[in-house]
Amino acid sequence: MNPHSDAIRVTNLMKKYGQTLAVENLSLNVRAGSMFGFLGPNGSGKSTTIGCLTGLLDPSGGSVEILGQSFTTESADLKRRMGVMPETLGLFDPLYAHEFLGFVGRMFGLDEAVTRKRVTELLAALELTDTSKTLSEYSTGMRKRVAFAAAVIHAPEVLFLDEPFESIDPAGVALMKQWLRRFTEQGRTVFITSHVLETVERLCTEVAIVTKPGKLVWQGDITVLANEGAIQYDGREFRALEPLFLHLTGERYTDLNWL
Amino acid sequence: MNLNNVGLLVRLRYKLMWAKTRSRNGKIVLFVLGYLFLTLILILLAAGGLGAAVLAIRSGKAEIVAEAVLGALYVQAVFATVMLGFGMSAVFTDGELRRYPLTLRERRITRHLIGIADPFWFLILALELGLGVGLCVLGDFHIALVLVAILLLFLSNYLLARVVSLAIERLASRKSGSALLMVLVMCLAFLPGLLAPALAKNKANLAELLGVLRWTPPFGAAAAMTQPGMAALSGLVLVGCWLLAFAAILAYMEQRPPRTQAAQNSALKWDSAFDQVGAFFGPRNGPLMAFWLRFYTRNNRFRALYGLSLPLIAFLAFNFRNGFARRSVSAPVDPNRLFISALGAIFTVSFFGISRFAVNQYGYAGGAFRRFFLLPTDPAASMRAGSYASMLVGSVLIPVALLLWIPFGGPFDARKLAMLACSAVTGLLLLNGAGLWVTLYNPRKGSYTAAMGNDMSLMGNIIVIVGMLGALFTPQILARVLPAAVSPENWWDMPPLAAAAFLFYVVSLRATTTLFPSKREALLAVVEGRVK
Repeated sequence: MNPHSDAIRVTNLMKKYGQTLAVENLSLNVRAGSMFGFLGPNGSGKSTTIGCLTGLLDPSGGSVEILGQSFTTESADLKRRMGVMPETLGLFDPLYAHEFLGFVGRMFGLDEAVTRKRVTELLAALELTDTSKTLSEYSTGMRKRVAFAAAVIHAPEVLFLDEPFESIDPAGVALMKQWLRRFTEQGRTVFITSHVLETVERLCTEVAIVTKPGKLVWQGDITVLANEGAIQYDGREFRALEPLFLHLTGERYTDLNWL
Repeated sequence: MNLNNVGLLVRLRYKLMWAKTRSRNGKIVLFVLGYLFLTLILILLAAGGLGAAVLAIRSGKAEIVAEAVLGALYVQAVFATVMLGFGMSAVFTDGELRRYPLTLRERRITRHLIGIADPFWFLILALELGLGVGLCVLGDFHIALVLVAILLLFLSNYLLARVVSLAIERLASRKSGSALLMVLVMCLAFLPGLLAPALAKNKANLAELLGVLRWTPPFGAAAAMTQPGMAALSGLVLVGCWLLAFAAILAYMEQRPPRTQAAQNSALKWDSAFDQVGAFFGPRNGPLMAFWLRFYTRNNRFRALYGLSLPLIAFLAFNFRNGFARRSVSAPVDPNRLFISALGAIFTVSFFGISRFAVNQYGYAGGAFRRFFLLPTDPAASMRAGSYASMLVGSVLIPVALLLWIPFGGPFDARKLAMLACSAVTGLLLLNGAGLWVTLYNPRKGSYTAAMGNDMSLMGNIIVIVGMLGALFTPQILARVLPAAVSPENWWDMPPLAAAAFLFYVVSLRATTTLFPSKREALLAVVEGRVK
């Protein structure tokens, strides 16, 4: 993939649930090789957007292009080049971690030997070596690591991660960040949603912020923040992502006198 | 004790029940009608109990009738709660109740109050009260004694059902438990069939059995309701003793949660039988097949039901061998009648074990349902593979059932064997085909880990129950109205039936897998628990 081309191109994406509008005419471009942060308050349509970008949901309108090709729920070949860690993790609880990862690896076209090698290496790297427990018996953090391993086992070109760092211990987060940086250095693209703005600020090169109902209010380069610079918006200077986010999504403070 | 909190939680259970109906307008109507229907049934049952009382008084055998009615109700209540999951819905686990400011005792009381305040138990109580009130109105019995006896009996019945359910749940959650459970159920299922001829032949055996039964709660309650003086008191004491014993056993079991058996291990096990079987379906479908096979066979309820399939079919075939004809239980087995009965029973042999998954393929996947759409296959591949896995697992039982027929089915007749095989294959294809439609149009979020209970949707229940009953009675009805249709002379009737079922399955599979992508958002909402 040409690093100057767009890995993801969304044009006028719309998603309705009955009469409820979840995503409204969302258009955004994600450069190949970038670490892209997709932010928004709760219920702003982030997971719905990821659902539309990964084939889980049918958009009500608009178009999605991934790696230069039109993407629909039937795009099996494109899905093979994508990795997804969904919000709900999508783990089959009765399976053991190696069985689940083996299943995902084989479904994504890896042969048996490569699958086994990668599963063994991933489990060791993510410290998931206790094979006596099924996924249902794993802690939340361990389940998240398994879901992350499932998203990367086939070395995808585009990686979608929905809240990847929540519930994972600092060592695990550091390891994942290291992998993700290497991932983008190789020209692959990472699309992340997170509520942890400090992490996004340190990790991502570009950010898009949406408000309800899935409406894009800002998209831009944030590398300037890492160099002690500031983002100019609405005639104001923002030296961190958090004040910009709060400004765009609406600061809220209600005083409860009994609290 | 904080009765206010306990009351709030019991009320919450009914609010949650009501809330389920809010999701779809039509369900509200259904729910209201359901409750009206329930009230009607309550009245009818109370009247039924009253009718039994009338019979008891007029026949002059009040105690015997009361024993029979209360005994039958007692056993039925335990059976229905344990096997079908009625009145056993665990709305709040102890863990969930720990969130609230309740002591251990209050949590226990809350859980059991919610359990016993279930519409199912109201039905049982209505019948028992109908009998009691009838006895008091028509006979010269002491109302206080009657009501106390019924209340104690009712409570002991609930506690016994809880104890048995918990014991089975514990047993089924162990690896070898399902097999043991199967043996136990087999013994229980065949017991009446084996006992009846022995009791019919020798009256002394019956008297001996009644002597033992006198020490059971229903007989104790019957004595308390119909006997004077000390006999009534001793009946009450007997029921009270059982009640305390069941309460103690339940408390003991609840205080000792089952231990997990697994020890930490770091060796990865590859090359399982599931993968080997899956490999037969090619590199694309193989992993999905292996997945579904694992998913099904690791489920405790599936293991228990699957293990029960053959004994149940044998039991049904044997017990319905006389069909609608009145014949003595001690009469010798007529191979032709047994064949008619087996023809119906074998229809469901491949379906009973897998039924829960076949009618609700995604209902137990929860949020993992999303994974199927992230895979680089056509979205319906998972549905096809799931159905094939279900058919594969179920069909294994068909040759086993046929092999069992050969030694027990009387003189060997290849035509009968062919008809039985066709009936079994028809059942496999027809019921799995119907299951595909229910999976798509009436799914329900179920609990994969629950070893007991009935969490199938309305249509799922209809397919399973109507399927089984229909299969059982159709050959019996045909034997009466159109004997030629089930005669081995016309064995060639059956293969076209199987072919029609095959056609139905193929059409259903094609249609449902085509419709599946358009239904996936609705399915997702149900299996993730956002819509009931």
